This record gives sequence, C-alpha cells and structure tokens, in this order.
Amino acid sequence: MKALAGPEALLRERRIVVCVGAGGVGKTTLAAALGLGAARSGKRALVLTIDPARRLADALGVGALGNQPRAIPRELLTRLGVPAEGALSALMLDMKRTFDDLVERFAESPEARDRILQNRIYQNVSDALAGSAEYSAMEKVFELAESGKFDRLIVDTPPSQHALDFLEAPQRLLEFLDSSIVQLLLHPAFAAGRFGFRIFQRSAHRVLQLIEKVSGLSFLEDISEFLMAFEGMSDGFRQRAHRVNALLLGRETGFVLAAGPAAESVAHAEAFLARLQTSRVPLVGVVLNRARVWPGGGPAPAAVPQAGCELEAQRDLATALAADADSEGAARAAIHAASEYACLVRRDEEVTRALRERSQASGCFWRRVPELPRDIHDLDGLARVAEALFAEKPAGGNDA
Amino acid sequence: MAEPVRPLLERRLVIVTGKGGTGKTSVVAALALAAAQAGIRVLALEVGRDEHVPRLIKPGTKPVGYAGRALRPGLTVMRIDPFEALAEYLGLQLGVRPVVDLVLRNRAFRQLMQASPGWRELITLGKIWHLEQMTTPSGEPLYQLLIVDAPATGHGLTFLDAPRVVGATVRTGPLRKYAGWVEGMLTDSERTLLLPVALAEELPARETAELLLRVRRDVGVPIDRVVVNGVLAAPFPPALENLDERLARLPPDLRLAGLPPPSVLAACGAHLRARFELNRHWAAEIARMTALPLVSLPYLTSGIRGPEDLARLVAPLLAEPEAVAA
Repeated sequence: MKALAGPEALLRERRIVVCVGAGGVGKTTLAAALGLGAARSGKRALVLTIDPARRLADALGVGALGNQPRAIPRELLTRLGVPAEGALSALMLDMKRTFDDLVERFAESPEARDRILQNRIYQNVSDALAGSAEYSAMEKVFELAESGKFDRLIVDTPPSQHALDFLEAPQRLLEFLDSSIVQLLLHPAFAAGRFGFRIFQRSAHRVLQLIEKVSGLSFLEDISEFLMAFEGMSDGFRQRAHRVNALLLGRETGFVLAAGPAAESVAHAEAFLARLQTSRVPLVGVVLNRARVWPGGGPAPAAVPQAGCELEAQRDLATALAADADSEGAARAAIHAASEYACLVRRDEEVTRALRERSQASGCFWRRVPELPRDIHDLDGLARVAEALFAEKPAGGNDA
Repeated sequence: MAEPVRPLLERRLVIVTGKGGTGKTSVVAALALAAAQAGIRVLALEVGRDEHVPRLIKPGTKPVGYAGRALRPGLTVMRIDPFEALAEYLGLQLGVRPVVDLVLRNRAFRQLMQASPGWRELITLGKIWHLEQMTTPSGEPLYQLLIVDAPATGHGLTFLDAPRVVGATVRTGPLRKYAGWVEGMLTDSERTLLLPVALAEELPARETAELLLRVRRDVGVPIDRVVVNGVLAAPFPPALENLDERLARLPPDLRLAGLPPPSVLAACGAHLRARFELNRHWAAEIARMTALPLVSLPYLTSGIRGPEDLARLVAPLLAEPEAVAA
C-alpha cells in the first residue's frame, strides 16, 4: 500500500481512521482533531469514542454523548471554519448496549435472547474475553460505515495493553465456543467417548465442583445456560465478525498511533509499533502529542546562551530590561528559563527520535502536536490542536 | 481531615492506585526503595498482566514471576497471577496439585474462569492477605511492608470492592470467612493505606476526586494523602513572576549576544509559566475536591529510568503531606 504523506492525505484517501495508543497520551483529542480536520475539508465526519471518561464530550463541548451520533451545532462549526457541506458529529459508545444489540440480532428466539441477556456470565463477558469491548466498538463502526450517513469515521479506541485485542476478539470468542470444555458442558455424552477427554472431564468437573463448594456460587449452572443460549448464535456472529475484520484491515481504513513524550509512553509506543508492523493492521501514521517545541519552529539551540557568550548575553539582556527594577536578576532568570525550556525541547526530541525514525522507516507519516499552554477542554482548544496537526510541513526532521 | 497523618512506612500494606500515565509504578518502586533503605523488609507486588516494577529497581533484570525474587537485600518483587494463586489455593484444599494444574492450564477453562465475576480480585487480595500473615521462624512478619501496584483507577475500585461484594452475596461457607478476613485487612487503618497518585491536570484531577468519593462511600479503605506526581517548578523567582510579559515588551528586532530574539525568550518563559500555573491550580483543586493533604513529587526532566531517578523521589515521597489552600 502506498505511504500517506500526512493526516491530510489520510483523511482524503481513507474512509475509516482508527486511533490507537496507551492511556493518557491524548488519543481522544487526536481523534476529535482529525474529525474537525475532516469536517473542515467538507466531509461529513463522525468521531466515535468508547472512553468512559467522557473526554470527547468535554473536548467537543456537547455535554454527555449517547449511543447515537450527536451533531455539533452548525454555528459552532461555522466559527471553526467548517464549510456548509462539512459536518461533525460525535458518539460515545455504550459497549454493553452494542453487545446487547448484537445478541438481539443473532439470537434464535426471544426466549434465547432473554436467557443470554439475563445470564450472569454474559453480563461479565466484556471482561471475560479480552478485547470484546473493543470488538463491540468495531461492530458499531461497521454498522455506521454501512449506513452511508458519514463520509469519514474517526474511531478512538480504549487504552489497551494489547493493541490487537479488538481484532482478535471475535476469533477468540468463537474458539471459546468450539473448545473442548465448552463442548463438554454442552454435550457431555458425546465427549465422554474419548479417553483422554474423560480424564480431563473428570478433573474439570472436580475442580468446578470444588470451586462451587468453596465459593458458594452456582457456577456450572450459569455457564452451561449461557453457552446453550449462545450456541445458536455462533454462525451469524462468525460471518459478521469476518466482515468487520475485513473492513478494518482493508483499503478503506488507516490506523494512527498516538504517543506522548514521557519516557514510559514512548517505550509503550515503540512496542506498539513493533507489534502493529508484524500484524496486518494498516498503520499509516504516528502522532506525538504534547511535544515541547521551540518557539517559532526549528531545533532548540544546544545551549542558551551560546557557549562563550554567557557574560555578554546577560549584559545585553540586563541593558534591554534596564527600564525595570532588578534588571540583572531579571536577565539571569529569563536566560535560565529559556535554557531550561531548550533543555526540555531537546529532551523530547531525543527521547522520541528512535520512534520517529522507526515510524518513518516503515512508511508512516510522523507529526508532532505541540503542548499547549492550557488543557484542551473546548472546541477552540481542539481547533488549535487541529491546526498543529494539519500544518503542512515537509515530512521528516524536526519540523514534521 | 481529622485522621492523623502517620508516616507512610509505618503501615503493613500500602495500595498504590492511579490512572495510566500518572507514574503510579514509579511511586511503588520509589517507596519500595525507601523502605529497603530504612531497613524494612519490603515486598512490592504487581497484579497486572505485565511486570513494570522490577526494571525500575534493577534495569535489565528478568521477570520475577509468581515465585518472586529479591532484587536488593530486603526488597522482594513478585507478580500475583490469579490463576497461579487459584492453583495454589485449590491445591491446598484438594491436595492433588497435578489434577488442578491439568485443568487450570486448559485455555478454555481459563476463559471460562475469566468470565466469572470477582474471583480474580478476591484470590489476589487473598494472596496479599496470606503474604501479610506470613512470619519468620522467630514469629516476626516475613514482610514488614507490602506495596501493591493496583490496577488503574476504574478497575482499581472493582479490585478493592471484591471482598465486600462477595461478603454481601455469599452468606455462608469458607469463602465468606475468607472475604471477611480480607475486608478486615483492607479497612484496618492501623495496617492499610490506599495511596492515590494523580497528575495536577484537569482530567487526572477529576478522576482522582471521583475515585476517592467512591472508595469512601463503598469500600472504606483508609486514605490520608494524595500523591501529586510530576509537579513543575516555577520558572521565575516570585519577585519576577511575570517576567515573560516584560520580555514580550522588548523591541522585537533587538539583537542580544548569543541569545535568541526577545520574542522567543518571552515564549519560553510564558509556556513554562502557563504550565506551572495550570499545575498549581489543579493541585489546589485536588486538595479541595478530596479534602486531603498532598505529597508533591517533582517533575524529572530525565524521566524515571532506574534507581538513581527513583532515589530523587524518595525524600519528597516520605515528606509530611501538606495541606494546600485553593
């Protein structure tokens, strides 16, 4: 697949953008800024988050979001430079609700549906299979992509230790349903014929009974009930899962990895990048959020003031500040602060260099979004992030 | 708060919690180092899927696993895997460990167990309780201090609330008794402390306040301070507080030997000052929303890469918490 030069190209050429990354790196803000960018280029964009912290709602200034898309008011969009044909909506996904919808769709009968929905195991199923929460988000993306109501879908994924959980979740659920222990619980007579299985069966039963005894919970009953009810669904579910994965790994989708400049976050992003590269995930870009950048662009100087100019620098600045009180102290303090800030800018550049080089080497675009003096909690803040994100600069080097 | 603020190291169990990105793991590692330096036999516990504490204490070290390993004299780290803890517990109850292992190794059985509510948290806390109870041959506690790197806040509450939930749903039997012991440990302010770690920024601050509200309402684990991590220093001395504004008023074309133009000097200072003020504001908000004193840890430009960086956090971490006025 050909490389995309930046987020502009990404939004021009891909219909679905999935933002991935660790928690606390500004993934939600990135998703919202990409959505705003798409709307500004005249697209009907939807930003979808499953972040329970309601950050997107805060950032978009629309209060609480629901399981249905909510449009950002036209007058706000106009103020932010969105043309008449562009639109921006946001949706915060209720994962439980989405999974329930799935059960409704594929259950064999209303009775089977109710049995599943009321089952205690089902109620924990999102914890049970790592990634099923993520999967239900993808399911919603699929539904919205099919609806034709939006030109661009920007998806903010939950912070995940294991980036690809959500792609593997349906497969994992199907494997689980097909597995020996499940078959044993569903069809004990059939399984009993196989010798190796009998040993396993006896011990499994013994352990489960023991767990029931020491816990006082009616564990077995819940499990078999859940599985019986779920069994009839698995064909429909399987086909659907296949189509969802095909959409996400196909030509219409681009993944963007978000990172922050903290050392832990960079290490996490590097590991993420390595994992994504060995998968079939179409990763197209890496965005470094909250990077400290040198005012006016370009690299930070190696030293402030330049080596050998310390005395002159302080004298010059003190002279310039002479109209005010304590010009000597002020000059010292100002130089100290600039030197410290240069140090932070160089530090961010150094800590993230390997990540930048590795992502560029693998054909991803690389963008830095500068740390803003204030937190992002409204559309104006978001607009500033979008401006930094979409600033057309040559890829590579310090300015990308 | 009326609660007296006792030194951190005088507890038996400190449970460190906080959202991802707050530096919770660094706090666990720094506290473990501090305890070991003070001659306290300390056990640091990971409860997640991956290990993070060992490489901070001893860069490049191999995983410590469920068996745990001493990384320094008097400083042991282990990771509690709920399935290992379950196997240990059932093995003890059932007496036939090989059978238990056979079943627990089965992937589908594990998924089945993962679908079952509450047991992971409870078995993990049960293991912690067991470790707290262990003694040396002379009857001294084997570990004088246990420090837990608890799950990030959302799940952190589920984690702490498990014994109470089990206690409420299971009326009789060994599990009920067991849950009672664990709950007794968690709510004992002589032994236990929950140590939340936050950043002085809007979202982490609000999330911390919400966590505390729910812990106080539902769980009753003692809390006496909030750790605020990554606190920025003021860029200018107090008398020159708005120096960046003075710099911004200098002629833009002014040339200064070896220095960037005044506008750049002003922008550097203004950015540092804005972030510092934001930090100060949200630290005060955390103090106000939680009604707790704060322990502030400095922002380290270098990041936290190993024991030398952790050592810089020890003194501020052990300092008397400060009441912060809004």
